[in-house]
Amino acid sequence: MKKATHLLEILHTRRVVVCVGTGGVGKTTIAAALAIAAARSGRRALVVTIDPARRLADALGGADLGNDPRELTGDPLIEASNGSLHAVMLDPKSTLDDMVGRFSSSPEARDRILDNRLYQHISGALAGSSEYAAMERVSELLDGGDFDILVVDTPPAQHAFDFLDAPRRLLEFFESRIVQVLVQPALRVGRLGLGVFQRGTRRLISLIEGFSGLSFLEDLSDFLLAFDEISTRFQNRAVELRRVLTGPESAFVLVGAPRPDLSQSGAALLERLISEGVPLAGVIINRMRTWPGGGDVPTALVEFEGELQGTDRLAERLPRSSEPQRDRAKAAIQAAREYALGVTCDRHQVSELREAAVDRHLFFQWIPQLERDVHDLGGLDRVVHALFDPANETRHD
Amino acid sequence: MSPSPVRSILERRVIVVSGKGGAGKTTVSAALALAARDAGDRVLLAEVLKDGPIVRNFEPEANPVDYAGRELRPGLTVMHIDPYEALSEYVRLQVGLPRALTSWLRSRSFEQLMDAAPGWRELVVLGKVWHLEQMRDEENRRSFDRIVIDAPASGHGLTFLDVPRVVVSALRGGPLRDEAARVEALVRDPDRTILVPVSLAEELAVQETAELVERVRADVGIHVEAAIANAVSSPPFAPPLKGLAEELEALPAREELGDVPAPGILAACARHLESRAQLHEHYRGELAKRTSLPVVALPLLPEGVRNAKDLQRLANILRAASAVEGESGR
Repeated sequence: MKKATHLLEILHTRRVVVCVGTGGVGKTTIAAALAIAAARSGRRALVVTIDPARRLADALGGADLGNDPRELTGDPLIEASNGSLHAVMLDPKSTLDDMVGRFSSSPEARDRILDNRLYQHISGALAGSSEYAAMERVSELLDGGDFDILVVDTPPAQHAFDFLDAPRRLLEFFESRIVQVLVQPALRVGRLGLGVFQRGTRRLISLIEGFSGLSFLEDLSDFLLAFDEISTRFQNRAVELRRVLTGPESAFVLVGAPRPDLSQSGAALLERLISEGVPLAGVIINRMRTWPGGGDVPTALVEFEGELQGTDRLAERLPRSSEPQRDRAKAAIQAAREYALGVTCDRHQVSELREAAVDRHLFFQWIPQLERDVHDLGGLDRVVHALFDPANETRHD
Repeated sequence: MSPSPVRSILERRVIVVSGKGGAGKTTVSAALALAARDAGDRVLLAEVLKDGPIVRNFEPEANPVDYAGRELRPGLTVMHIDPYEALSEYVRLQVGLPRALTSWLRSRSFEQLMDAAPGWRELVVLGKVWHLEQMRDEENRRSFDRIVIDAPASGHGLTFLDVPRVVVSALRGGPLRDEAARVEALVRDPDRTILVPVSLAEELAVQETAELVERVRADVGIHVEAAIANAVSSPPFAPPLKGLAEELEALPAREELGDVPAPGILAACARHLESRAQLHEHYRGELAKRTSLPVVALPLLPEGVRNAKDLQRLANILRAASAVEGESGR
């Protein structure tokens, strides 16, 4: 049977590891932990994040964290291994601005785009623009050659594949029939006259303009005129980016948390990622409640609601105190039962995804729910340890 | 003594629930709606901008609700305010656009154009909320006593509520400005509308919720009176049994106790629950401190909210909390 590539091997050999998953599951934390692990194995690692929560940003370098990589020092294991750890926080807007600058034929052409109000809006808000900028920056940093491995934390998205889809969606927008229809006359005459439209369309356009507070179509036509010049290069770039990110040097990791949305759609998401050509290497589940000692939850505890036979044996062993021993034994068993229900519930939430991962020969690992939140380097260190504890992975043999 | 925070929430006409992604906004919205309904109100629970599975909180296998809505329980209607549906309704009723063009509104190419246009989604959705708030039945009674809105996560949630203000300030006149002004008046009326931030009792969620509340106070001007800490664990042992975890730890860890797990396992379970409860207690306090708001805690159910029974449990807790007098204001 084909075996899953182990996470360690991925961190040793790949140049890009991309963490995808829905918001709130701890993608940034996992990405940071993977980068630390890679650095400790002697690689020059860079963790690329977008808008991390403030405390985690502090852990990764605080206020200085920005669009340029910053080295994080102080981890003795990284120093001992000759690896290094850098972090960068993407600024999607300035990345797109830079790109427009590079692709434009002249400073005037560049400014025409940058000053366009629609561009200013799109660069910040159009679906996919921050994902696109992330891909662009990742590619730049790879080309720069300063790092052996980039671990990328993708922007919070409703769907994990939004990330790879972003350039396509961005281009689809510009090439869409509606944009062509609305703007073609403008492209031809160089200026948009609303007279070309029928009365109903004109009312609709003024409605849109009213909603958006922009002279929307004028801005759009200006923008497209300016953008026309760079769009071919933009498009080639998008194709190239996708090729790099889905190529043999990349690996994607699906990050999830044991929540109802995962049990409803996790396995389908995994299949979809694979069918879209994403080089998915495995799944990491964050914050799993696990049974002490790693074994199975005793079935008697969760399935039998009455008093367990061993209650008296436990009661006899407890020291005497003001509260009856039997009551205390029952309370202790009840607490274990409550915890066991949680463990069982979490296992149930991930079970389908786990089966799908095993079927597809992917690694499947989890991080036990830690007793404290992770928002500093100490917390990240605990996550790294948990990641490489063999008790926290599904083995395929 | 002031009324309890939950009671003030449930007295408002429009209850907007927002917070960090994954904090349980949808579940809390559903529980608030159910609590209001159980108190005898006619309630509309509305999901906006995204089509999430709010209805699954009531019926795990149910199909998602659409724009037409569905009455899930007597007195409780659930709907999804889809922005495109709201826009085509608005355009049909207000602007009188030809029917051929309203179908064009639903086309993929129109969506692509509109995806790039800012602000209109928020405005039409809130416009619909305004309309629902005004709606009367045949006997001229309000159609809904309460409208509970499952709003987008924090960052987007603020944009969502702030759009009418921006539109009002950007436009000089015209029907659209009037529309936005009506919506803004509803959003900013502390007697009618309230924002309920939902957080987890964890560092990152508390941080984000505090930022949400700060920005709401500074910019949006929507009334906030209490925050909800969702999924808060309680300590495993009541005070008289407080030392029990230590006692279990003092026993031989691997001793066989028949069908009862060994003392080491019992102790580890108890310790885990204790440490989570301590963490949550700490961050529940932090949430109150950093938002300067009273905090209503909803318990962590060990298996999550699986079905209508679990949801009812949360709704009952909210109802009970609305009956007691709260501590004074801040």
